[in-house]
Amino acid sequence: MIHAATFILALAGFASLLLAMPRHQQDWLHRKLAPLVSQRLRLVGFALIALAFLAACLGFGWAYGAVLWFGWLTAAAALVVVVNLNRERIVAQMRR
Amino acid sequence: MAWLHTWAGLLPGWLLFVIFLFGTGAFFHQEISRWMRPELGRGTVTAEAIDAAAALLAHKAPDAEQWRLSLPSARDGDPLSISWKARDEKPAERGKRGRANKANRATLDPATGRELTVRDTSGGFFIYRMHFDLHYMPVIWARYMVCIAALAMLVAILSGIVTHKKIFSDFFMLRFGKGQRSWLDAHNVTAVVALPFHLMITYTGLVTLLFTLMPWAISANFSDRDAYFAAAFPPAPETEPSGTHAAMLPISALLQRGEQVKPGLHVGSVTIRYPGDSEAIAEMFMRSETLGGRREQVRLRATTGEVLGERPARGPAAATQQVMIDLHAGRYAQTVLRWLYFLSGVGGTVMVASGLVLWTVKRRAKLPDPNRPHFGFRLVERLNIGFIAGAPAGIAAYFLANRLLPIGMADRTDWEINSLFIIWGGLFIWSLARPAKRAWIEALSTCAGLYALVPVVSALTTPRGLPASLLTRDWTFVGFDLIMFAAAAGTGFSAWKVATRQAKTPPARKRRAPLEAMA
Repeated sequence: MIHAATFILALAGFASLLLAMPRHQQDWLHRKLAPLVSQRLRLVGFALIALAFLAACLGFGWAYGAVLWFGWLTAAAALVVVVNLNRERIVAQMRR
Repeated sequence: MAWLHTWAGLLPGWLLFVIFLFGTGAFFHQEISRWMRPELGRGTVTAEAIDAAAALLAHKAPDAEQWRLSLPSARDGDPLSISWKARDEKPAERGKRGRANKANRATLDPATGRELTVRDTSGGFFIYRMHFDLHYMPVIWARYMVCIAALAMLVAILSGIVTHKKIFSDFFMLRFGKGQRSWLDAHNVTAVVALPFHLMITYTGLVTLLFTLMPWAISANFSDRDAYFAAAFPPAPETEPSGTHAAMLPISALLQRGEQVKPGLHVGSVTIRYPGDSEAIAEMFMRSETLGGRREQVRLRATTGEVLGERPARGPAAATQQVMIDLHAGRYAQTVLRWLYFLSGVGGTVMVASGLVLWTVKRRAKLPDPNRPHFGFRLVERLNIGFIAGAPAGIAAYFLANRLLPIGMADRTDWEINSLFIIWGGLFIWSLARPAKRAWIEALSTCAGLYALVPVVSALTTPRGLPASLLTRDWTFVGFDLIMFAAAAGTGFSAWKVATRQAKTPPARKRRAPLEAMA
């Protein structure tokens, strides 16, 4: 459970960070968001990643949780990269 | 400063690839050992097995100078093993590294205590040792080489962060099929996404080799290394047997006593000196598999269970070092965290490999005559093929040799390891004789074929193939076989990519060579 929570929070965090970047907004949303919105998305992204840290540490203790948090961060970021890499395929699938 | 990143990464790059590859495998070295000893059942050490081991020792060596019993932990792929030393045994009669020779040891099933014949193998332990001791060379040279490579790695990571700041704005950027840009993306993404891991593993790796790298703390304070070890880990005082017989507590009771004295630690091994004598002593090596967990040594009087002495508690510096070493080796990690370690390790291996390939891709476009590259370029290109496709193929051969070499073969353990280097070296030489692109395709396909064969050969030669392990829910074996298929798929996919990319390269880029298209 704690593993899932940490991972999903980290995943949502990195997804927000991705969407806070103008070049990815163009790709995914076909428009650029207002700077204020981007800034808030970035803030939300970092907040979610911080929450993931809390989830891991409260569940497994500070030492083990911290290492685990880094591990899940890597996994989450890698998944966001893979999804972004296959954007065209995913968008086509969703339109169908 | 970009040059610093380039050269600090390139020069030790092939050694770093080997270190990362074997190190990543070593996160699962216990599971690998388990797979490589298919005769061994599952399950942890039972009280029944300890009693059986004690009975066997009393039967086989009642007058021994010492008995030794090694207890595998729940994860270890080692058998319960016992050995003994006769009173009149000369040091020359001992085997390698003071191990008891074959007649003086026995292996038992940890669950049942039945005596077992387990094939001779170094198992996952070799993968782990190769990670920092390499092979076919004196350990001290290997460690110096590994130290220098790790230092260069640290320089490469830090200079990479400082000089290539764009990696963070390109955090999520990975585009395939764009030649050099794709190689750069792959290098960046695998580096940045697992950056905390790369920094941690490189730094703590240096800490594990602390006294190789910085021997001065010892040489300034002690006359020699042995004096340091004697002070840091005081050996047990020499005792003499009294010559009078006295009944000992059963070994299982001694183990229980040890675990009472040191709650939270479990016994890794126990040595009983002068068993059956009134002065018999049980020495236990205890540990806990937690981050920074203690390693302790407890001595008990074997007749009464009275505690005779303990090692003094370690200081804060030693405790800090222990935490770093544990972080590096990851033995404390439970299943999920272990897989995350493995994932980051794979990322690191790909980072090193893509960095090496990137060096050639970047320069190939600028070669005066792409058909006749200069010597330096050819050297890097050939080493890349030989190491990046060759070393993983060697590991597959190591696993195959474990299943295929005759059980009773002389020096079987050594031949398993030799098989690794024969296949790796053979593939290296073969790839030298072929044009670069063909060499990549053939070496990677061979690698894929070998990995795909491992589960198949295992199913044919042992009763513990994939279907059987699935039925018995033996997840270690299932996981191992699936990882072999995944490795086959990964290397096979790479081979296919190299083979098919050329046709798709846009005309404007045609002059650039096939290698960059491997993305």
